Amino acid sequence: MKNSKQVTYAINLVILGVSTVFWIVILFNPGSVLPAHHSPAGGNEHSMASHEMSLHITSFPGMMAYWILMLLAMMMPKLIAPVQYIYERTFKRKRFRAAVLFLTGYILVWGVAGVVITILIQTLKLRMPGSFAPAILGGLIAIVWQCSPAKQFFLNRGHYHRPIAAFGWAASRDVGLFGVMHGVWCVGSGWAIMLFPMLLPYGHHIAMMVVALIMVSEHMEQPQAPRWQFNMRLKLLRIVIRQTRIRTS
Amino acid sequence: MPFTRNNAWNHGGTFDNPDLLWYAKGVGALQSKTLDDQNSWWFFAAIHGEYITRSVPAQYSWDTIPPPPNVPVTPLPAQSVIDEFWNQCQHQSWFFPPWHRGYLLAIEAQLRSAIIDLDGPEDWALPYWNYFGPDDQYRIPPAFTETNLPDGNPNPLYVDARYGPNNDGNVYVDTTVVSEKCQQNTIYTGSNAVTPAPGYGGSVTSFNHGQGLNGNLEANPHNLVHTEVGGGIPSRAGLMSYPGTAALDPIFYLHHCNIDRMWASWNAQGNSNPTDPNWLNGPVAVGARAFVMPMPNGTNWTFTPQDVDSLAQLDYIYEDLITAPAPVHTLAQRLNKLGALTTEALNTENMGTGTNSELVGASEGSLELGGSGLKTQLRLDSDVRKNVSDSLFKASEVDIPDLIYLQIENVTGSLDANILTVSVNNQLAAHISLFGLLDASDKDGQHGGTGLSFTIDITTIIDDLHLENKLDADSLDVSIYPNNIPEDESINVGRISIYREQQG
Repeated sequence: MKNSKQVTYAINLVILGVSTVFWIVILFNPGSVLPAHHSPAGGNEHSMASHEMSLHITSFPGMMAYWILMLLAMMMPKLIAPVQYIYERTFKRKRFRAAVLFLTGYILVWGVAGVVITILIQTLKLRMPGSFAPAILGGLIAIVWQCSPAKQFFLNRGHYHRPIAAFGWAASRDVGLFGVMHGVWCVGSGWAIMLFPMLLPYGHHIAMMVVALIMVSEHMEQPQAPRWQFNMRLKLLRIVIRQTRIRTS
Repeated sequence: MPFTRNNAWNHGGTFDNPDLLWYAKGVGALQSKTLDDQNSWWFFAAIHGEYITRSVPAQYSWDTIPPPPNVPVTPLPAQSVIDEFWNQCQHQSWFFPPWHRGYLLAIEAQLRSAIIDLDGPEDWALPYWNYFGPDDQYRIPPAFTETNLPDGNPNPLYVDARYGPNNDGNVYVDTTVVSEKCQQNTIYTGSNAVTPAPGYGGSVTSFNHGQGLNGNLEANPHNLVHTEVGGGIPSRAGLMSYPGTAALDPIFYLHHCNIDRMWASWNAQGNSNPTDPNWLNGPVAVGARAFVMPMPNGTNWTFTPQDVDSLAQLDYIYEDLITAPAPVHTLAQRLNKLGALTTEALNTENMGTGTNSELVGASEGSLELGGSGLKTQLRLDSDVRKNVSDSLFKASEVDIPDLIYLQIENVTGSLDANILTVSVNNQLAAHISLFGLLDASDKDGQHGGTGLSFTIDITTIIDDLHLENKLDADSLDVSIYPNNIPEDESINVGRISIYREQQG
């Protein structure tokens, strides 16, 4: 059974709202809630010595917190479909808790990926501060990955919605596992394109916003047979254009 | 002058019926073209669905289909052509009726063009197979069972892999299983007292297409007829049983012509199609690819639901639009049964509509469905179950009682050629077809491997349990019996659930 319109709209509104708030925090840092040099991608505007200082000043947990914040800002919109599914398949009084468990599993996987990516980025930037070389290499890897059958494989798996038990710990287990596996498929499809903007010496916030739109958009595309292909996967853009035409005609 | 689509059973459904004779000749002409010819029989079958480029078990692949027909798997069109045209069919979607209408118009135009080239009638139109008609009309028209045409040539309408409901080659539609009850619905998408969810035409298809439910027209009769006609034997599946082979069988188009006729009849009864721009503009409105068909003049026809949602704007009519008469005062009957008084003013106009659904209970864990069927007990949440009981106790014209559904979820496997008989507390709930199971279980397919889910309206059964004071047990027994699962095979059922749908 499908959620009512009210439930559907509420889920959409809350998820998009949370994502927007996190974007505002990342972009504008209101009230200086984030410490200086919080971003694992930041610091390249300094010399190696000052970058080492920034690493000293900013703790690794701080960088990871930033990573999770950025992840939620970017990825929350693509979680609308699985959260809608969880709401459909869960007892009304347990829906929110189930959605939080799903999100926890999802973040856990991206958190582990974040450790690896953060260490990699910091190592590269320590060795080549201010250099575009890592970003160029990362960009090339991302382009190849975006065209690969492996990318399509992971995107397809992201459309799988597993059965969810209704009662007891099995229900918690199933939504948690759903989140973990959704995270695995998401990391599998998105690791390369996520890496690229983090390697940029400058303007990684803008690049992250573009990457977020691409990642949300590509997850909205229908699954298809994995093969080498150049596919921009711009479904989100197509929807915006078409809906604008429909609403204004 | 519009074209008239006539009953295939005219002239006894034999080749004395010129519609069928020329259909056979037209099919033969299109079958003589190559797979990569956009006007060929094979290309059109692939527009609906194909198992050439898609990875499926060998026994379903086009290259293992026993002749006749001799199904080609080469030469393939260019990948860009495949991406644009093939595997377009819309199932578990509110686009099911309009996409198939456009598809019929295109194949009809192709056939008419071929028939005219053969000096046939210029006003030829697709016939329909009304399996709900009188006398022998539940049987496949005899012209489809002849191996040869009257002139002695092979009959293009004859198909080897068409096994029927008992898998013995006797092809008919069992009208004790298949019904036109959906014609009593009054809402295209949604639910009310005479329209079980998700509605006559299907559930809203958003950008995320993979999780849809069969509309009521699609579930029964459409899906059930596919399975009954196609059937399947252990080593072979009937062509009609799978979306990726169904349109290879010429009976496919007569079946869909009848489904289209039923939709036209439903509209003629005064029922409305959606006016939501996201339906009128088709899947393009939500970023998906357009409906597009090759036409005989070498052009492509791109259409939307609003281009085909009324026969008045198209160039064909049906010989008749007779289907089951709509009942009256169904809600009144239910309220009276539950002990509530009703007024004369109560009619379909003031029936409640489904507003919010809620899980009531479910099975514990996933279930394997083998050839001998399964029995399981659904555990009900006592608090939600009490809400259902309260709704039934308070039933009145103001407090319209809940509708109750059984939902069979995340069904995966490859055995589409099955009809499941589903019972709740030993009361028959429904027959459901597994048409589309293989595709929905494909991890690289539209459903991402999530499988099929089915909703079954069990309101009447729950009302009876309530009246017999048996609804407070916090459990329900469910049994499912398949008609065609070999002993060493099975399908998986992710969960079986009960939902209440409040009526506002």
